[in-house]
Amino acid sequence: MLRKNTYNEFVKILSKPRSFLGIGALTLLILLIIFAMKADGKSIISFVTASFEQTLSFNGHILNGYLIAFIILQMLIVHVPLLVALVTGDLISGEAAMGTIRMLATKPISRTKIVLSKFIAGAIYTLILILWMGFLAVIVSQWIFGTGDLIVLNSDGLTILQEQDILWRFGAGFMVAYLALLTVSSLSICLSAFAENSIGPIVATMAIIILFTIIGTLDVSIFDTIKPYLFTTHMASWRSFFENPVDMGTIMESVLILVVHNILLVALAIWKFNRKDITS
Amino acid sequence: MKTLLSILLLLPLVGLAQSSAKLNKVISKLNTVKDYSVDVEVKADIPMIKILPSKAKVYFKQKDKFKVVSKGIVILPKQGFSEINTFLSDKSKYMAIEGDTSKIAGVVVQLITVIPSGEDNEIILAKLWVDDSRSLIIKTQITTKSNGTVTTNYTYGDMAKFALPSKMVFEIDVKKFKLPKSVAADINQRSTEKKDDKRTKGNITVNLSNYKVNTGLSDELFKKKS
Repeated sequence: MLRKNTYNEFVKILSKPRSFLGIGALTLLILLIIFAMKADGKSIISFVTASFEQTLSFNGHILNGYLIAFIILQMLIVHVPLLVALVTGDLISGEAAMGTIRMLATKPISRTKIVLSKFIAGAIYTLILILWMGFLAVIVSQWIFGTGDLIVLNSDGLTILQEQDILWRFGAGFMVAYLALLTVSSLSICLSAFAENSIGPIVATMAIIILFTIIGTLDVSIFDTIKPYLFTTHMASWRSFFENPVDMGTIMESVLILVVHNILLVALAIWKFNRKDITS
Repeated sequence: MKTLLSILLLLPLVGLAQSSAKLNKVISKLNTVKDYSVDVEVKADIPMIKILPSKAKVYFKQKDKFKVVSKGIVILPKQGFSEINTFLSDKSKYMAIEGDTSKIAGVVVQLITVIPSGEDNEIILAKLWVDDSRSLIIKTQITTKSNGTVTTNYTYGDMAKFALPSKMVFEIDVKKFKLPKSVAADINQRSTEKKDDKRTKGNITVNLSNYKVNTGLSDELFKKKS
């Protein structure tokens, strides 16, 4: 029954134009970045290496597909949560707004399973989004720009990774990025369980992400104690795969925190939905 | 009295002439190389840059054509590979002053300080430690207008007859690198966890092998995009 309901939920997602709007927007954004890099990528590289260029010269095929993929991932990981929340944010509250939630609750399936099927359908949509993003970023960029070593820009320096040591990092990085987006999906569905309208949970999800991201970006020591527990801090942990050596301890810590967030958010949504007085 | 005064006035010029003669021997040796290609392995130990050893092929042609071809990313010093040879080749653009003798790795070397005569030269001052017996530059310390000071130590192998080194170790100054976390999108790093590299000097070791000298490299090679 859970499988059938998940299928139904996924069909509902696909029937909404906004689901394709997200994929379309993502495609357009990535193609725009690729076009910009093709047109003026050298100046971007110069920006990256400028601090060292007084004394050092960087030789080789720097502007390559891997660098473009990394830039795309870095730029869009901030915006993709909006596209995820746009679809998953009204999975429960949308039904309440449209008045179909009462009918949904009459189906011979527990409320827990209804919520779970919505989470799974949201997870599948998020997976499709990140796979599409990965295809455009890594495969299409490689096709246009070729391959080569990757320069990774961190706030405290540069890491240069050799070509043969990169693909697995993208694979692992995308997996962690997916887990981060899954947390956004879970958050928006959880907020959706508390709301009666479609737009509220979407806006609330983005507000939370923006707030937490700003706290994470601020170099103020007073926030250092809470930063490790904000899921937005760990949304960028996919970058840790692009360090040398890879700090697996930090990555596992981030994965753990994201998994805990997901479990708590799902549990909270189930708890709320089971106690929800469905009157609409 | 006049004779004594003349001797005293001419004394520095005698020293200048001697050092120029030593330098001329080095330059003559360098000038025997019209072009070369060489395989290089670069090991960079630079603060705030993590990079594994990388390989490349370097091409040089008199007077100042220089090209690095590599599949991967190779970091080299901005100056120090061929600039000093190019600079020294035009004797009208500098004056050389002989300094002390000392020992570097058991080799007696003569310090020659080279000062550019023009205002527009990129090099402000160059110190060369020269092994006079083999007419080889063992160490250089070059200060330029835009790139700071770079110290280079040279080791020679079987291409010493052309004054081409088998190993070069560059010591370079690196400025503090800091990029806002928002630009680097490195928000995962927590401020208290930063492992700042406080060093301001870095080393680049270049091992050179498989020299091909005076093979008549075409100018086209240096125009092609690597």
